[in-house]
Amino acid sequence: MPVHETDVCIIGGGITSAMLARKLSELKPGLGIIVVEAGKSIFDVQNRGRYRERAIAYNEHPWPGDFIEDQQADGIISMTMAVGGLALHWGGACNRFSEEDLRLKSMYGLAADWPIEWADMERAYCEAERRLNVSGEPSPHPEDRRSEPYPQRPIPLSYNLQVLKKWAEQSGIKFSPLPMARNLSPFEGRGSCCVYDTCGEVCPTGARYSPDFTFRQLMGPKKIALHDRTLVRRLVPDDTTPTIVAARAVHQDRPDEVVEYRAKTFVVASGYCWSSHLLLLSSSARYPNGLANRSGLVGRYMNGHRFLNATASIDDQTFPGQNMTHSLISREFFRCAPDKPFVRHDTRVWESSAGRDPRLRSPEGKLLLGDELMADWRSRTKGSSVRLRAYVDVHPSADSRLTLDPAKKNRYGDPMPKIEHRFDDQTRAREAATRAHVNAVFDRLAKASNGKIVNRSEGDYLDHPGGGCRMGTDPATSVTDSFGRTHDHENLFVVGAPTTPTGGCTNGTLTFVALTLRAAEKIAAA
Amino acid sequence: MKRRTLLQWAAALAAVLPFERIRLLAQPRDFTPQAIDLLREIAPTVLPSALGAGRIAAMVDQFVVWTRGYREGVPLAHGYGHPRLVRSGPTPVPAYLAQLAALDADARAAGGRWASLDLERRRAILDAAFTKAGVRGLPPRPTGQHVVADLTAFYFRSSEANDDCYNALINREECRPIVLTTTKPEPKAGRG
Repeated sequence: MPVHETDVCIIGGGITSAMLARKLSELKPGLGIIVVEAGKSIFDVQNRGRYRERAIAYNEHPWPGDFIEDQQADGIISMTMAVGGLALHWGGACNRFSEEDLRLKSMYGLAADWPIEWADMERAYCEAERRLNVSGEPSPHPEDRRSEPYPQRPIPLSYNLQVLKKWAEQSGIKFSPLPMARNLSPFEGRGSCCVYDTCGEVCPTGARYSPDFTFRQLMGPKKIALHDRTLVRRLVPDDTTPTIVAARAVHQDRPDEVVEYRAKTFVVASGYCWSSHLLLLSSSARYPNGLANRSGLVGRYMNGHRFLNATASIDDQTFPGQNMTHSLISREFFRCAPDKPFVRHDTRVWESSAGRDPRLRSPEGKLLLGDELMADWRSRTKGSSVRLRAYVDVHPSADSRLTLDPAKKNRYGDPMPKIEHRFDDQTRAREAATRAHVNAVFDRLAKASNGKIVNRSEGDYLDHPGGGCRMGTDPATSVTDSFGRTHDHENLFVVGAPTTPTGGCTNGTLTFVALTLRAAEKIAAA
Repeated sequence: MKRRTLLQWAAALAAVLPFERIRLLAQPRDFTPQAIDLLREIAPTVLPSALGAGRIAAMVDQFVVWTRGYREGVPLAHGYGHPRLVRSGPTPVPAYLAQLAALDADARAAGGRWASLDLERRRAILDAAFTKAGVRGLPPRPTGQHVVADLTAFYFRSSEANDDCYNALINREECRPIVLTTTKPEPKAGRG
């Protein structure tokens, strides 16, 4: 059996893993770090322009082989399992949560407080923004004060977004350019933004941060070793002490050979799904409910946020296609007065061509040909469509769970995860009021420029998911402390999305990275 | 070799060869010159006349190149939220050729070559063909359902068509300095 010994073994190769590996290598030069990732490395940045072209022309997936067909979960939001994880094809949105997210219990009597002071979290956000080279504009709300400026100026608003900002702010709601991890000039080996406008699929220049760049930069000078295509199937506890002694894995090319990783410290950085999954899979006679699970909360309180959408039609003219992946954000409703009915959400505005795209038939069903089709299309492009969205703060119940599904197993016979989100009673009780509030905000926005809401919809999954190993101060009600150290095993950490008690009301990646960077010093010292 | 022996060999070979695979491999993978000519004849019906004969012909040529670049069995975009593994299907070319042959036959049955039919006759033929192929709306990109619907989508879903429609140099799919997006797009007309 091949055995690899190291100081820190990081399981998972996504964005939190990359950020952690880099910071550990800076904090303790010479520290042995092995990153073990089940998926493959796709380090061919030179091909990404071609992948993008084929994605546009043929709808081909732009990350060849970034998934493992039999390593999938019910309720997962992306199939990607590769070095870089979901951050290979994230949009790059880097919004901060707000202090309210950390104080839900004490301010509103809801859900749970996070075991972190806001000032502490704010410092971690600054570091995350520096490392991701976030481009942003300070929020107009004084509660969002920052201790450091954004490392980059805001992404310049396209003409379309300038028009839409003017339109949206007639409602009295303030909007800012969405902060994004997108280079406006070259940074750390990545190029600058050329508005390929496929951030959420693939960025040919690397302007939108993706972790493959960090891993390559760390591997070159041997600051880390990356073992890809290697699936960790079990963590092995010591027979007598509450420590983890090994991670047992299997390489895709040698399925019958167990590979063992022995380390002083193990960090599970496998995202919202596979982190809880690994802990639950690692059950034994001594730990029949899995590792780190004395509380019984591993795989519980799975979170995320709901999203409500609308399309507005307005008279102001825009030209769809200028920069469709950028948006406006309002943090106006991040705060909720404690004496008012609870509702928190962000508000987003994108350019859109919805309802104004070319169509093959007239409303009467007549087949449109050539000039008729173009004339019909042109007749519907006066004015603009506007895409609106609100990510809404909802809170999980303990029954919002990831469980092992005995009916679905991978090639090694391991049960695959099944995620079923459930809201707590208070969230369910205020659903109608929340929906009414958000729709009223959309209506308020739409009033200007002779606008009207032409459709409304709701997402049927929770976006930016997290949870499953929530942090807290009490080992009876949480899985880790605020640094991701599991209460049950002193040398086992979980970082990033799984540790969040609640999912906030805006994109989560910056928060997952900030939490991980905050944990790095404890991990280095462990 | 005796004739009987040759026949026996052929029979033995027939028993072991994967004929379905051979049949698929034997399918045409490329447009015939006749098919391209017919598609060129049909294209002015479904593409805007403002493109002019040259751009219409070029659009047909680019569409043919698109079919040559098609890859079978490749994972398509998984989607987000409810991801699903879907692979690209077989090349659409055999179906395209059959559809073009059917359109040609329909045109001849209606009185002559495609170009000689009046617009309503051509519309009726395409309407029936699209319905038969299950084409309900403009495809998001060529999808293999019907060759003429796909040619239509090939142009109308393009960045070029978007610019033609808005009469503006938006250049949706072009790599460009971000500063160019901050001003109102210049009109397309009048640009060489």
